[in-house]
Amino acid sequence: MELAELTRRRERQAPQPGEPRRGSPRDGWLPARYRAKAVTFGLVAPSVLVYTVMTVVPVGVAIYLSLTDWNGFSDAVFIGFENYLHLFDDPSSTSAWYVTAVVAGAGTVLMIGGGMVYALLLKERSRTNSFFRTLAYYPHVISALILGFLWAAILGTNGAVNSTLQHLGIGPVGFLFEENLALVSLIGVIVWAGFGFNVVLFVAALQTVPAELLEAAAIDGASRRQTNLRVVIPMISPVVTVATVLNLVGLIKTYDLVVSLTNGGPAGATQTYSFLILARSFEGTKVGYANAQAVFLMVVCAVLALLVTAARNRQDRATTS
Amino acid sequence: MTEQAETGRARRRPIVRPVMLALLLLAMTMPVYLLVVNSFKSQDDILGNPFSLPLGDLTLDHLADAVNSPQYNVIRSYGFTLFLVVVVDVLCILLAGPAAYAIARSTSRRAQSLLLYFLAGTFIPGAALVIPVIYVLRSVGLANTVAGLVAHDVASTLPVSIFLFVGFIRTIPASIDQAAMIDGAGRLRTFWTIIFPLMRPAVVTVLILNSIGIWNDFVSPQILLSPGSGRYTVTTAIYAGISQYSTDLTKVFPNLLLAVAPVVIFFVYMQRHIISGLTVGAVKG
Repeated sequence: MELAELTRRRERQAPQPGEPRRGSPRDGWLPARYRAKAVTFGLVAPSVLVYTVMTVVPVGVAIYLSLTDWNGFSDAVFIGFENYLHLFDDPSSTSAWYVTAVVAGAGTVLMIGGGMVYALLLKERSRTNSFFRTLAYYPHVISALILGFLWAAILGTNGAVNSTLQHLGIGPVGFLFEENLALVSLIGVIVWAGFGFNVVLFVAALQTVPAELLEAAAIDGASRRQTNLRVVIPMISPVVTVATVLNLVGLIKTYDLVVSLTNGGPAGATQTYSFLILARSFEGTKVGYANAQAVFLMVVCAVLALLVTAARNRQDRATTS
Repeated sequence: MTEQAETGRARRRPIVRPVMLALLLLAMTMPVYLLVVNSFKSQDDILGNPFSLPLGDLTLDHLADAVNSPQYNVIRSYGFTLFLVVVVDVLCILLAGPAAYAIARSTSRRAQSLLLYFLAGTFIPGAALVIPVIYVLRSVGLANTVAGLVAHDVASTLPVSIFLFVGFIRTIPASIDQAAMIDGAGRLRTFWTIIFPLMRPAVVTVLILNSIGIWNDFVSPQILLSPGSGRYTVTTAIYAGISQYSTDLTKVFPNLLLAVAPVVIFFVYMQRHIISGLTVGAVKG
């Protein structure tokens, strides 16, 4: 950080002698000042072009379509904000929000809690601990789609768990076929796949907690639990904040796992908002409405992402002060 | 009080930790164990004793079927997925590197707002964007083409890559650039020959982040490449295959095993880089 500040300050003084020399030997067609600008433009332009056409323009298209009643075939008629009003009285939309909120809320709480418990258990540097950390982490590198199919083969009606239960004379449990249980299973798999990321993040933070602090707490007669709750966790609270918002933003977008684990079923009980948007768009009849949902999801994600930035800034300030 | 707490702690600690670690071991290895053993069993055996080791009647038939399957072949999809990963990685670095260099070395307000412009892209959820992307690709004539998918994937990797590069380049002293400039190097040459080699840690982070992201991506290839194109990535091949044979577990398990194997092998070899790369990417990006 300090290094970056130093170099930036030094550079601000340098350009005057550097700048004319930079262009002068070779350029014949542009004054040095403009040539430097043209070079900068050339460095930046390709990225800006690709990013603008493939990301920013589609956002614009989504906003435009969300204000029309386009069905994919007819001419699009501008209808203002009507699509947005339906976001709150359409039952499948509200139920998808409920599912998304439960998944994101419960998933985040459990991932942060589980991550913290295992981070405290595994924070010491040792071979065993590093093995267990890696073990908790590995699902993070595997596609959520594939993890969902794997768990579907384990929890499904003829999956490993149910066929074992059947041998014991217990009827099939609808892990994926009873509405509430399916939602619980979805959250369970999400937490299983995601908490290891928090473990790694928290362990890195815990290892920066100064040992003197822990000694001081021990001398004052604090138990291990008191030390953890009153000293250690508050010390790393900025990291916990960042992890919380990262998990929330990630889970709001949950899509792949829903497709492979439950495909939104039973009866839409595990249909998240992203899932609903893509399902709607393929029906092909309510493109305008699906885009209103997409724009709304973008806004929610943007708000949450702004929270990440705010949390991160606070963390930066906390670590530099 | 304190003494009680002390003895309580002494009694509790040796029990809690092993129990928690045993739980972790069980929860994390059980699915992989089931995946591996059931890839070598017959359908009856999978349904009858899913948890048993296939010691007596181990069969390689189903794995061989999956390897040789004419349809939705996972092994064949490795090639296309790897191609996609490499092309997107290379293009992303070629575009993001110079852009990040220009932004990092400029103190103007415009450069800072350009960085914010790119950063805004990290907010956008992929599933919400992919439908409008179809319309844009259609209007530039790239609908249902590999080029269209590559363009979309490159654009989706640019924001985080540029952000990480800018952060790293700012830690490299600008006097190095000035030395190169005095020796007569242009800005592009200064970047590729002097600065870029110094950026290795950031480049490794970006490569790992993007490679794993593209390899595991499902929404973009599924929606931007129609099944008619005949091109399948690992995820879309698995999706197409399992949607068709979801009840035939002798197809499900071997195919999933083939899909997971390359990632797990890559992870085992590069775990330190991968874990730090993905963590840095998520927290800073």
